[in-house]
Amino acid sequence: MPSVSPNRPSVATPAAPAAAPAAAIALQARGLSLWYGARRALDGIDLDVPARRITALIGPSGCGKSSLLRCLNRLNDELPGCRVEGQVRIGGLDAYAKDTPVHDLRRRVGMVFQRPNPFPLSIHDNVAYGLRLLGLRRRRELDERIEAALKAAALWDEVAARLDDSAFSLSLGQQQRLVIARALAVEPEVLMLDEPASALDPVSTLRFEELLHELAARYTLLLVTHNMQQAARVSDFTAFLHDGRLIEFGDTDALFTNPRERQTEDFITGRYG
Amino acid sequence: MTRRRLDFAGTWLVAGAASLCLAALLGLFALLVACGFAPFWPAPVEELRLRDGSVLLGEVVGGDAEALVLRAGETDRIGAGYRRVPLDAVAARSRPADAVLFVLADGRRLFARAAGAEPAVPAAADGAPPREVLAVNALGPFERLGVFARRIGRFLATPPLASNLDGGVLPALIGTVVLVLLMSVIVTPFGVATAVYLHERTGPGVRAVRTAINTLAGVPAIVYGVLGLGLFVHGIGAGVDRLFHAERLPLPTFGGGGLLWAALTLALLTLPVVVVSVEEGLARIPASLRAGSLALGATREETTWRLLLPAARPAVLTGLVLAVARAAGAVAPLMLVGVVKLAPALPVDAAYPYLHPSRQFMHLGFTIYDAALASHDTIRGVPRAYACALLLVGIVVVLNLSAILLRNRLRERYRALET
Repeated sequence: MPSVSPNRPSVATPAAPAAAPAAAIALQARGLSLWYGARRALDGIDLDVPARRITALIGPSGCGKSSLLRCLNRLNDELPGCRVEGQVRIGGLDAYAKDTPVHDLRRRVGMVFQRPNPFPLSIHDNVAYGLRLLGLRRRRELDERIEAALKAAALWDEVAARLDDSAFSLSLGQQQRLVIARALAVEPEVLMLDEPASALDPVSTLRFEELLHELAARYTLLLVTHNMQQAARVSDFTAFLHDGRLIEFGDTDALFTNPRERQTEDFITGRYG
Repeated sequence: MTRRRLDFAGTWLVAGAASLCLAALLGLFALLVACGFAPFWPAPVEELRLRDGSVLLGEVVGGDAEALVLRAGETDRIGAGYRRVPLDAVAARSRPADAVLFVLADGRRLFARAAGAEPAVPAAADGAPPREVLAVNALGPFERLGVFARRIGRFLATPPLASNLDGGVLPALIGTVVLVLLMSVIVTPFGVATAVYLHERTGPGVRAVRTAINTLAGVPAIVYGVLGLGLFVHGIGAGVDRLFHAERLPLPTFGGGGLLWAALTLALLTLPVVVVSVEEGLARIPASLRAGSLALGATREETTWRLLLPAARPAVLTGLVLAVARAAGAVAPLMLVGVVKLAPALPVDAAYPYLHPSRQFMHLGFTIYDAALASHDTIRGVPRAYACALLLVGIVVVLNLSAILLRNRLRERYRALET
């Protein structure tokens, strides 16, 4: 088992199994397997997610893309009858170690869901939610960090004048960016996005992809998408999952133009999935 | 053809059932309004000339095919002036304009004819001046309306007289409202906590609690009264007295029926309603909200407190509306744990600590029972029961309306969640 230094940007993992990208590793999975009851949803996933890059997870429906995300922040723990084996490291933190507080892990791994899920609160309080969990109470500090998060999510200009309006008064695209701002406010190391654009119209999707590019300058993004054009457009690295296994992982351009595995080629040329 | 006929029959069946429900509700309200307001309307004073030459003065309060029932002057005591006058004994019936009605301070009614001379004003036994002196037959419609309004005001704002045959229902009104409010304050946290437990956990404990709640919902109300008497009054209350009020024993402080025990009994009675309603509300909150909160690093407890419960507030209010409706209608259990016909003091007053949870109190539901069934003057008692029933329904409607208005305001905020 290769060891990873807690100083995230400095050391790259030496021998990544599929294709090691030459960048710092923000998130590392080793031998990660997941069972829902008796059904095996993930089978020995080894994955190194490079820091400050966009990594796309593609694969046919039910191949375990979302399950993998939910393993990385241990959201699967909430499901009864769910069992995980293997190791996940976020920065220097062993996610499944006994002494790792799960709420701390989840703060470091932000997550954006398929449909925007703003809380039934005001725009301001949505972004403040995670900050208040951290114990932040001072009004000025809260306001500053909320503004920064909304700016990072490219939403500030549209909502600055109506922070006290309900989050549901926003359009779907704005709601999805609000949810990103909410996740960014607690300054995660990795931001996972589970088909984040699937509920958006084409124009909002385009804007959203631009936003992802901007975010990649500061955050490690892990993007699940069912849209291969999107993966090709947006991501730096792509991982192809099939039937709970990681089939191929590498540079996006290389993977799309010259896949090494037959299954990958079949999938990206649209022969199935 | 047959199917169309069935459709036709089904439509009529549904429409018929729906209109029956509506008609029953409207009929109930019409009856309550008509009978409830009747005792306050100034009835005419009639003069009956009998064939034997005698003359009777009073209000005709009933009768049948053979006789009239006349309330003549109640010179001795209240309820002692009724006379049955056979119809064929009556030679003439008139409403003399100079007839005067005296309602004494103790509730007795006397009648006189002024006939030019000033009538002697009778006094109550304790010498108090009469409460009303009215030349009823000479009143114009607006003056009648004034008397009507004044009598309703007095009904609402004064304590009862003459063993609940006359006077107002203020103590019962206060008792009912305070009881229901105290019950709400007690049942809400317990109901919400139970619902959260049922919603958040799984396992044999949850199944046991759920079975218990469902069973509680089916237990007859009087059984709760027995439970309250045994557990709260004789159990906890007696214990509290031994510990804290030993100097007053054997006089009970908390060891007798009282407001607190009645409120606790009603809280037990209404707990299932609140639990079921809040649990439904929690279940309606989309799972994505929960996941979103957990993904931000909130613990399950933080998610429940900061997100789920605020979003379930409309459901809590719905539960309270149902609980209030059930509590306001429950009289049987209260008779065992603190409601009395006449209480010496109100459960709330201006003296510290303002709310006196150990005091016995009066309740509109019990006043209805008392006036309708336990009174020796049914001619006064039954209309009084209707008036109390109308008031009780009015209180429930007002409490429910305020909760519903509050809920609708909250719902506006959470509407987007429902889609």
